[in-house]
Amino acid sequence: MLTEIQEGKALNPVVKHITQEKINLYAEASGDFNPIHVDESFAAKTPLGGTIAHGMLNLAYVSEMMTSAFGRGWSSEGKLRAKFKEPARPGDTLTINGKIGCVEQKDDVSYANCSFECRNQKGETIVTAEAIVKF
Amino acid sequence: MSDKAITYEELSVGYKFPPAIYELSASLVSKYLKAVDSAGDEFVPPLAITACAIAAMTGSFSLPSGTIAIHASQELEFFKLVPIGATIECHIRVAQKITRGKMGMLILELEVFDKGKEKVQSGRATIALPT
Repeated sequence: MLTEIQEGKALNPVVKHITQEKINLYAEASGDFNPIHVDESFAAKTPLGGTIAHGMLNLAYVSEMMTSAFGRGWSSEGKLRAKFKEPARPGDTLTINGKIGCVEQKDDVSYANCSFECRNQKGETIVTAEAIVKF
Repeated sequence: MSDKAITYEELSVGYKFPPAIYELSASLVSKYLKAVDSAGDEFVPPLAITACAIAAMTGSFSLPSGTIAIHASQELEFFKLVPIGATIECHIRVAQKITRGKMGMLILELEVFDKGKEKVQSGRATIALPT
């Protein structure tokens, strides 16, 4: 967990490699077997040209960063807003960077507002997100 | 859940998907953690709960053949920790259904409750359906 929460502080980045095996595992764990994620021959015929990772798989990495930084406060009282900009594909390496944008106080409670960007190895933005957590 | 999946055409604003009940067993959470390549503790990762809620919806609605559904955005709010082994109930309703040319858009509101009927999380998902 972070020992110091201050505006502008960068959170520890997360780097993840996307594979079809991980996508298939996520489909099993989540029950989301949409063929765009798991059926390579179906996905190849769509405008996306191949399978893509579940958006929620990519977003899980942002949540992991928040848990690492803020502990259980994140899971019990966090807020998250995300946009899925581009699909992540098998073979991609995703790097998620985040920072504390501002710290606010309301009724003696402190809130950290964080922003995130998840990019692939080509520098394309895959997910942008904002999160708020009490601390 | 209902045996018969509702079609995209049949969905209308206000439609409530059949509530889905999940037991967040250690094996289910372990599978999730392996998939997201993350370590866990005695509580269920909040996005594992969201994943169940979304699966409850996708499992009870069918798309026209050849159509793909793309998750465009997601908002979430978490209200309490959920221990591994807990049972949750997921509710999803159609908040908006928008059609623009060949693009369909569904905005879904989700709420998840624990066994004591306390709200665990709520959220809003936007699903794009290029047809």
